[in-house]
Amino acid sequence: MNREVYVIGVGMHPFTKGYVPLRDMYFTAGVDALEDAGLKFRDIGCLYNGYIGGGMMEGVGYAKDLGMTGLPVVHVENASATGSSAFREAVWAVSGGAADVAMAMGFDDMARSGMPRRKPPPGRNKAVPGFESILLPAGFFAMWAVRRMHEAGTTVETFAAIAAKNWNHARHNPMAQRRADHEITVEEVLAAPMVAYPHTAMMACASGAGAACAIVATREWAERLAGGRPLVKVVASQLQSEVYSEGHVFLGAVVGPASSTERTAQLAYEEAGLGPEDLSLVHVHDAFPIEELMYYELLGICAPGEGDRLVHDGDTAIGGRIPFSTDGGLTARGHPGGPTGLAQVWDATRQLRGEQGPFQVHDARNALVHMMGAGSVCVIHILQRG
Amino acid sequence: MPNRVPLEDGYLVFSEDGIRLLGSYSPVADVTFFPTRKRCPITEESVQTVELSREGTLHAWSFIHMPRMGSMDIDPGGGYAVGQIDLPEGVRVQTRIDGRPEDLEIGMPMRLEADVVATDEDGTEYCGFKFVPKSRPSPGSTP
Repeated sequence: MNREVYVIGVGMHPFTKGYVPLRDMYFTAGVDALEDAGLKFRDIGCLYNGYIGGGMMEGVGYAKDLGMTGLPVVHVENASATGSSAFREAVWAVSGGAADVAMAMGFDDMARSGMPRRKPPPGRNKAVPGFESILLPAGFFAMWAVRRMHEAGTTVETFAAIAAKNWNHARHNPMAQRRADHEITVEEVLAAPMVAYPHTAMMACASGAGAACAIVATREWAERLAGGRPLVKVVASQLQSEVYSEGHVFLGAVVGPASSTERTAQLAYEEAGLGPEDLSLVHVHDAFPIEELMYYELLGICAPGEGDRLVHDGDTAIGGRIPFSTDGGLTARGHPGGPTGLAQVWDATRQLRGEQGPFQVHDARNALVHMMGAGSVCVIHILQRG
Repeated sequence: MPNRVPLEDGYLVFSEDGIRLLGSYSPVADVTFFPTRKRCPITEESVQTVELSREGTLHAWSFIHMPRMGSMDIDPGGGYAVGQIDLPEGVRVQTRIDGRPEDLEIGMPMRLEADVVATDEDGTEYCGFKFVPKSRPSPGSTP
């Protein structure tokens, strides 16, 4: 990066299965981030809106509630990695000198944002699904899990243990969609209805609605507004699309090649001058527990085939060697789409500042946030205290 | 025989001996892709459209206990199976497959069949594809 970039403000509207107008959630997350930074909207140099569903110019419309300053506003969409991609655009705007302060906003409501459908081509009487929409995403991740069980002897109990951990992380997070009133057990996760073998409903990510926002700025702005809080620096910002690999899947590219995460992580570690052993906490695209398990290995946290042991030893729970999904992850904090990657930044930033109270990671110094976008892009940022 | 139409052009053909998936072969890279590519994504050279093998092996599978895409009803039998099929050309195909969890085993041979997704008022059948265990009798064959 040309100029150093810092996260100076984060804000959220809690993720929810209930109905809250998107305009209200957008406003809440935006004001929360501005107040966290100590800024007015007129201080923002450019704005990137990340959303998957929704209509034309929806984000620009909602931004008018925050202010009308004439700033550049752009819509970003990269499936699950939408919020992460909006964040990266904001980081690059500051790094490249286009703005001194930039905002990334993510919002979505999965229950009320149907995917755009194209009409049938000429000569067809009936609107039939395309080949790309025959299978549900849940099936792709489940096949990855079944293959892992075949190759490495992973058990359903391991998948359930990852999910239970993330449910329990979310219990103390006021922004989480799934906040259980009791300690979730492996048995409870296994007893939930089966969605796609071997994944039960409690292993599937929580689909809902929400908004999350992050403001990034130059070091000068960050120091001026710190107010005694530790600075949070963006030490790596990487996005990669696919490279062909053996067994590559084009139709239903929802999981994506394993090499995408490996490659993007390698670039991020090189950029940051850090290795996986330097990380204090990690957020990943844990839509299903097979993903979190595989990302332990693909991010280099442990050797290939050793992810199961990490789970059994409790290494990836808060208090363990390298906590994953500290705010509950996609599993329990939730995965509304556009805001998900920015919710990761919200938690990572507050963890590095030491502000997460009952789910605080002790002495957090480096946080890695990872998202996949429909298997076709991988986005990784590393945030650092200081 | 009803009029059979692929869901979209360019993915499969119906020939005299049945359904075939279409892929692209890149002679320079010696790699085959499915579905077809405009050109080779590795070398950026041209590709040839090829008909792919109808038989392959099961690389991975799952059984989905939810309604199919676009439906609110769960299939009779409590769901449906999906799989990844490795074809001899080095292509991995994600697809609906036939079978109960107890019938499915990684590595088992699988065979391509047409999968009728919708039928028009005039009887036209809109077809996707699926793979079925090879041991199962072909449609129309005498058991």
